[in-house]
Amino acid sequence: MRFFLVDRLLELEPPKRVVGIKNLSLAEEYLADHFPAYPVLPGVMMLEALVQSAAWLVRASTDFEKTVVLLREARNVRYGSFVRPGGQLVMEVEALDVGRDSSRFRAAGQCDGQAAVQARLVLEHWNVADEDPGNADLDDRLRAFWRERFRIVGGPQALTAAAGT
Amino acid sequence: MALSRDEITEKVREALVDALGVDEGEVVATARIGADLGAESIDYLDIVFRLEKAFNIKIPRGDLFPDNVLTSEEFVQNGKLTDRGLAELKARMPYADLAQFEKNPNVQDIADLFTVEMIVRYVEGKLGGAGA
Amino acid sequence: MRWIWIDKFVEFERGRRAVSVKNVTLAEEHLHDHVPGYPLHPPALMIEGMAQTGGVLVGEAFDFQEKVVLAKVTRAVFHRHVRPGDQIRLEAVVQGEVRSEGAGIEGRITCNGLLVAEIEMMFAHLDQSRVPLDLDEENFVFTEDFIRMLRMRNLGQLPPPEPGGA
Repeated sequence: MRFFLVDRLLELEPPKRVVGIKNLSLAEEYLADHFPAYPVLPGVMMLEALVQSAAWLVRASTDFEKTVVLLREARNVRYGSFVRPGGQLVMEVEALDVGRDSSRFRAAGQCDGQAAVQARLVLEHWNVADEDPGNADLDDRLRAFWRERFRIVGGPQALTAAAGT
Repeated sequence: MALSRDEITEKVREALVDALGVDEGEVVATARIGADLGAESIDYLDIVFRLEKAFNIKIPRGDLFPDNVLTSEEFVQNGKLTDRGLAELKARMPYADLAQFEKNPNVQDIADLFTVEMIVRYVEGKLGGAGA
Repeated sequence: MRWIWIDKFVEFERGRRAVSVKNVTLAEEHLHDHVPGYPLHPPALMIEGMAQTGGVLVGEAFDFQEKVVLAKVTRAVFHRHVRPGDQIRLEAVVQGEVRSEGAGIEGRITCNGLLVAEIEMMFAHLDQSRVPLDLDEENFVFTEDFIRMLRMRNLGQLPPPEPGGA
């Protein structure tokens, strides 16, 4: 299983908001354990989808400056309806503040118009070299990696789509 | 534990802020736990646990937020509380202000009775009574 | 990739406290995406580890007859990063007592005695209203497989947690 929880960005309006989606498929092997005979997207994966959506907003708002964007705090994470295979989670994240080293968000995920998850998030952003000096070249490679992934998830189109609305 | 009403209110506010993630300023006396502060069903239990811990009291199931009144057939008919239902609710929630609710006792409006003020009065009752 | 984010229980006290550990290893696929060249165990998966630790603690109190699921993460705060070669210790303490309506736990994750995370969460029981009728009989949350893998039949033989923890 690959740990990428955003399949496509739909709307991206740095530094204010982002909308993305995650498809859920039976091809995702961990579903066999969650749960046997009743596969559903685990709650923490919904949370990670929100975190990764917010991370894209951070990268797009800071010109991909920091290479590691990580969850630092999650509050009031509440779950509603399930996301089942063949279903799609739509993540909507609104930034409360995006700084250089950290950011705060209000985030929600819906499936078929029903609330699936909501949360308040605080993310931290840093470069590998900040924690482990001598890694400037890894940070350069990571920046290139994230820019490439940005293309894969339709980032440029999402920027245009938001500008058009 | 001779807490003043203000001290009780402050601790109740803290419990609600922690459980619901709302700002302190939103937790006013008349705020409804559900409609105004956004509490959902699991949150009611979270609130109960935090109040138990904060005040060192025991809150049995349905004592603070009576839930069985909402479902029992003898208490509810066509979405409204029957006379028996109303009597039951009054007995279960002596600390709640039911004057307004009585005029049109819709089951779905029961949740509106759960205000910050109501919780403070409930705690006062538990603390002021024969021991905690 | 299995959906099991703890490896075994090391301390257990029915209905009150439980401690599990999880080894973080480069053999885990997700670490190669998170982040390429600088593997970090994702905070969200640490939340799941705590949910599984707390879920077993709460579920055991009902002899695994109820389908205990995560209903809410009240707060999760992360203080330290976790890397391959680390072993994290997840300690869950029941808030008040386990009730038929649900339960809350306070959790702490440490690594070599240093605080990694503080997590508060609530569990509920999945009932008929949310699950298709034909599946209601099965407990797909606590399956024989899960119980066997985590050696959950031995929980009663584990030492109770020491006060204060490690």
